[in-house]
Amino acid sequence: MAPTLPSGDQASDQDNWDNGRLARKRQLLTEIVLRNRLTALVVDGDTTCRVLEQLLLRSYGVQTQGVDNGRDAVALIASGVKFNLIIIDMILPVLNGLEATRQIRDMGVHCKMLGVTACSGESERQAFLAAGVDVFIEKPLDPEHLVPILRELDGQ
Amino acid sequence: MDLAALKTQLKNFVQSMFEEGVLDNQFSQIQALQDSTNPNFVEEVITLFCNDAERIVNEINRNLGYQNVDFSNLDSYVHQLKGSSSSIGANRLKLACANLRQASDERNKEGCLQALQLITCEYCLLRRKFQALLHLERSIVELETNQK
Repeated sequence: MAPTLPSGDQASDQDNWDNGRLARKRQLLTEIVLRNRLTALVVDGDTTCRVLEQLLLRSYGVQTQGVDNGRDAVALIASGVKFNLIIIDMILPVLNGLEATRQIRDMGVHCKMLGVTACSGESERQAFLAAGVDVFIEKPLDPEHLVPILRELDGQ
Repeated sequence: MDLAALKTQLKNFVQSMFEEGVLDNQFSQIQALQDSTNPNFVEEVITLFCNDAERIVNEINRNLGYQNVDFSNLDSYVHQLKGSSSSIGANRLKLACANLRQASDERNKEGCLQALQLITCEYCLLRRKFQALLHLERSIVELETNQK
């Protein structure tokens, strides 16, 4: 529902603030309505990144799980849990993102995998793609990259 | 100070952080994620980030204190700090991390120490500004609560 201004000659500063904030939220979050229930696994050793990526996904209605290392990610997938989307960092504790990605693909998992990492070099990009991620994204994960992928997964 | 004035002050303060390059648009994305279901989200994320960042900066400091620096260990810490800085929109801190990454790639200990100094400065500046931002946010919440 579009924000409405109160009757009167001039909106108060508070109204302008609230309306502006709502408009900004819409603009930034690029509204999308998912028809299907999508699930995602976020694999990131950094708590701030993991929390933010999970919340961004949840804001679009994606059900998420998070793990903080590559070994737990592989174990979760090996246990039979299925996801539509896996978001994985390159440098991870215990088992790094490259090896975790290879092992996940070796299990026959074909879901969309996004390599979302602070690494920005071409050699790192090539290595991550060669390991099996479908898309390489330099952090931060933002709606501009995520929304088209969610639309694709949702069959839109 | 009344509620509207406080909100304007907060908005202007955040804007100044953008203009100084301390924050980038990613922080706006985080603000957009805060709503009635996550009313304290910005504060929670900032607190989380600062706790992790301080831990990492201390670890980097400790690593660079050794005679023989383990640069691969250092790399993973820098990667983590760069990643979380990018994710929260801490633009200048992210850029400072890139300097340290380069020095570490070159196995240049002196360069790493200089880059760490810059990281420490940028982090301290960011933390001060975040503390001021959160103080304003809490004042706004308090006033809004009192008005209900």
